[in-house]
Amino acid sequence: MVLHIMADALFISVAILTIGSAIVALETRELVYGAIGLAISMMGIAGFFLLLDSPFVAMFQITVYVGAVAVLVIFTVMLVRTQALFSIKEDPRRKTAGIVLLLVFIGGIGAVVLASGLGNPAFTKFNKPAIDVATIGKQMVTYYAPVLVLLGLTLAASVIGALALARREDIEQKNERVD
Amino acid sequence: MATVPEEFRFGNFLASIIWVILIVIVLLTLVILPLTFIVLFYVPLPPVNGEVLTPYLFLTMIVDPTRTLPIVKYLIHTTPFKVIVFPGFVFAAIIAAATIFVERKFLAKMQLRVGPLYAGVWGVGEGILQLAADGLKVISKEILIPSGADKPIFWAAPIAFVATAAAVVALIPVAPGWVVSNTDVGLIAVFAILGFFPLIALLFSWASNSKYPFIGGLRALHQMIAFEIPFILSALSVVILAGSLNLTHIATSQHPFWFILFLPISAFVFFISSLAELERVPFDLPEAESEIVAGWLTETSGMIYGLIQLGSYLKVYALAALFVILFLGGWSGPQIFPHQLGPPDAIPLVKVLTLQGLYNAVTVNAIFWFLVKTIVIIMLMLLPRGISPRIRIDILLHTGWYKLIVLAFVNMFVALALIYAGVLGPGGSLSIH
Repeated sequence: MVLHIMADALFISVAILTIGSAIVALETRELVYGAIGLAISMMGIAGFFLLLDSPFVAMFQITVYVGAVAVLVIFTVMLVRTQALFSIKEDPRRKTAGIVLLLVFIGGIGAVVLASGLGNPAFTKFNKPAIDVATIGKQMVTYYAPVLVLLGLTLAASVIGALALARREDIEQKNERVD
Repeated sequence: MATVPEEFRFGNFLASIIWVILIVIVLLTLVILPLTFIVLFYVPLPPVNGEVLTPYLFLTMIVDPTRTLPIVKYLIHTTPFKVIVFPGFVFAAIIAAATIFVERKFLAKMQLRVGPLYAGVWGVGEGILQLAADGLKVISKEILIPSGADKPIFWAAPIAFVATAAAVVALIPVAPGWVVSNTDVGLIAVFAILGFFPLIALLFSWASNSKYPFIGGLRALHQMIAFEIPFILSALSVVILAGSLNLTHIATSQHPFWFILFLPISAFVFFISSLAELERVPFDLPEAESEIVAGWLTETSGMIYGLIQLGSYLKVYALAALFVILFLGGWSGPQIFPHQLGPPDAIPLVKVLTLQGLYNAVTVNAIFWFLVKTIVIIMLMLLPRGISPRIRIDILLHTGWYKLIVLAFVNMFVALALIYAGVLGPGGSLSIH
């Protein structure tokens, strides 16, 4: 019972942290604070994974999103002039429309979840042990091997594409001329 | 001459002391004793040695020294003690502080200097109190915040730096069972937490609102991200051999042969990458004092500087300990401590003094060997600062991105070959079952 209450309290606080920092990330005028809010929100999602007994996914969430994506975002934001970004005046009608859209979206998702039978108590009562990392590894190279190969090819293709796009021929030509 | 003020009277002095004693007695009877009894009677106390810790038992245990040891034993096995004191923060902070002093003395001896000399005690120790003096100085100095600095980030970043370093320390096991957080994904968790450091350095350098810190922060970012990949890859070959990501399991799985025997190249890559991750010479470009003042630490002063120093030396301890766990067999070593410190049928006072019931020879031995290996690795990490110049940034990035990654892959294939040839791993010819 105490454990349940603890888990609920943790869930609520992580949820408040995640949503609050997501709102900060969207609303703040300081872009760096927005990027920090994004990083904290991603850490909150890692907290959800920890609460769901999947530490492996949680650690990768932190490694990839906080360690790499947030660093990239902050790095880019620091090099950008922020004054020019906020010259457009806000339209109150757009704000209202956004809130209405949000409510419709949340209502739709909620209806789908309620209709899906997740409220059935048989769904929420399961006592399976957490999946250990070795099982994930075995599944990755057996059942999910085609997906893994496909993902690897996609990543390789995108890295090669990025290299090709970032290649600057003018600099190479200049170097040749100097030589 | 006379420092006694004119209106000094000995009677007034005595009266003030009596007043203080009276106030203490009144506070004791009115506040502290009732609070103690409320805690003892109403807060449910945990069982110790199979007995429920009633107030009566607690008081007898305080009076009788032979009954105190079970309480101490119970207390040092609680989670708060582990987090705060022993494998956790205080233990690592003491090692970090000792590292700072030893580094200064060691480098001085290497360069035929004297090093810290005057802050000694009773004329011995050659500046052994230098660290305490430095600590007092750092605490008492004013914290200057540059104008135009981003204050919230400027204040939060040093605290986040220390907290992140302490989080890495919490994952390091120092003896069987002596670890704050024994997770199945310990190694990945270490790398996930280490990923915070470039973020903190970059944010702090940006928040300083100054040119040199920002250049230093960008250098720190480039360097840490370039060396993170060989860092993780070199640890991956250990995971292949051990078949686990749990640090305790990795340490115990190299029982007959340490992994450094099979993976010397990985150990080398790991060591070099950890030097880069720690921003130590020859990879101290982010703090290059002869080029960019002090890099991303330029605007730090007072305790902000102290916190960042503490965090970076906690990191030194954590990464040296990680090297020991991954490659040097963790805490394994010959048993050199006796199983009992005194005769088992001695009088109670001797029993207490020889810590019977509390002393565990295996654990003490494990901690001893772990500390010996860790200190050797820390000294190896300090050594380049005395003998090596700083390298250029293009050489640094070239080393990280081209050479070390390839080297890490080489030893990963060696590890795979050892597994598939049946030499190591489950059922291998060299592994003890």
